[in-house]
Amino acid sequence: MTRGSDEQRWSRLMVSAQAGNESDYRLLLTELTAVIYNFLRSRFGDQHFIEDCVQESLIAIHQARHTYDPQRNFRPWLFAIVRHKAIDTLSNQNRRKKVVDNYHDELHVLSQAGRQSEAESELSQGDILVSLSPQHREALILTKFIGYSIAEASEKLCISESAVKVRIHRAIHKLQLLLEADEQ
Amino acid sequence: MNNHDSLIANLSRNLAPVPPPPNINRLAMVWFCLSAFFVVVLIHLMGPVRPGAFLQLVEKPRFLLESLLGLAAILWVCQSAFRGAIPGALTSRFYAFGIMLMILWLAQYLTGLVSPALEPSMLGERDHCFLETLIYSLPLILSGLLLVRRLYPLRPIRTAMSLSLAAGMLPALYMQLACMYEPSHILTHHILPGLLMVPVGATIAMFWRPHRDMPNEH
Repeated sequence: MTRGSDEQRWSRLMVSAQAGNESDYRLLLTELTAVIYNFLRSRFGDQHFIEDCVQESLIAIHQARHTYDPQRNFRPWLFAIVRHKAIDTLSNQNRRKKVVDNYHDELHVLSQAGRQSEAESELSQGDILVSLSPQHREALILTKFIGYSIAEASEKLCISESAVKVRIHRAIHKLQLLLEADEQ
Repeated sequence: MNNHDSLIANLSRNLAPVPPPPNINRLAMVWFCLSAFFVVVLIHLMGPVRPGAFLQLVEKPRFLLESLLGLAAILWVCQSAFRGAIPGALTSRFYAFGIMLMILWLAQYLTGLVSPALEPSMLGERDHCFLETLIYSLPLILSGLLLVRRLYPLRPIRTAMSLSLAAGMLPALYMQLACMYEPSHILTHHILPGLLMVPVGATIAMFWRPHRDMPNEH
């Protein structure tokens, strides 16, 4: 399938879904699931939050389906939602699923120096994260991908908790800009 | 994939038809025209406009240019606000151009402190122009928010701020004709209340969760 034919098919399926056609809508969401998954994986690597993000994106597509205008292209509409949900999911990551929850002893987790390098090696698949500065990337990996709390990350990085928060905030803002530029 | 399959099944079950989306540019234009009409009528009802103000538009090209620049800036920001309520419809370039136009327009009044477009005068002074600008823009903000919340603004606060800027600047612009022309008065009594409506719009948006009460929410 070419990009153009995908675009036209998705647009047609969405118009049909707007009219209430369940089977077309199911087909559209199934196709989009794979597209969103690949989009996120190519940018962030194999991160556990991607599953959440795909689901959040599908729900957002459902909520926003009345705003799709067939006069406009489908992709910009779709990826605006996906980009927004990716940043949103990442920002709220420690309220969702923490890798550290799998460990019984927090101190044990902090001693798992290997976890960080493991996560970093996964990043080689996600080119967008490599564009962040090392300090920002480090803070983001520890808190959002590995699942450390702010206090744990500040201890590990030997900086204050507020400095960790600032680095995370800046990293997420930078990611937002990179994703926006990516689409344009 | 099982989680996704069950989510997709839930989302597509008993799928309700949705009305076709509005043409967002036309919707923005309708809001802009009705708002401008509302502001003009109200200002004329509440007091006389500056004598000879319309003639000055014809006779003083710089004043005309200044007013047209304001009109273009407000229209552009209004379009940005409405486009922001449709995913993917607003590009960062379009948004930035609107803000740039607005800054350029406001810079005219700063320049006017040194070299005004018209001879400064107290002619046509209105007693409550500051309050009038604040009050007239409030219904515009509320009506605009009512329209955009039916769509899907990904950044509701930014959308509300753009809308409030356009709504606040509409009466501020018309006050250049209705009230006295003096750049420092314009900045403090017309532009400032217009700008003050931006945080007002942002505050309303903070308590406004557009995605929670969507008509199609499953």
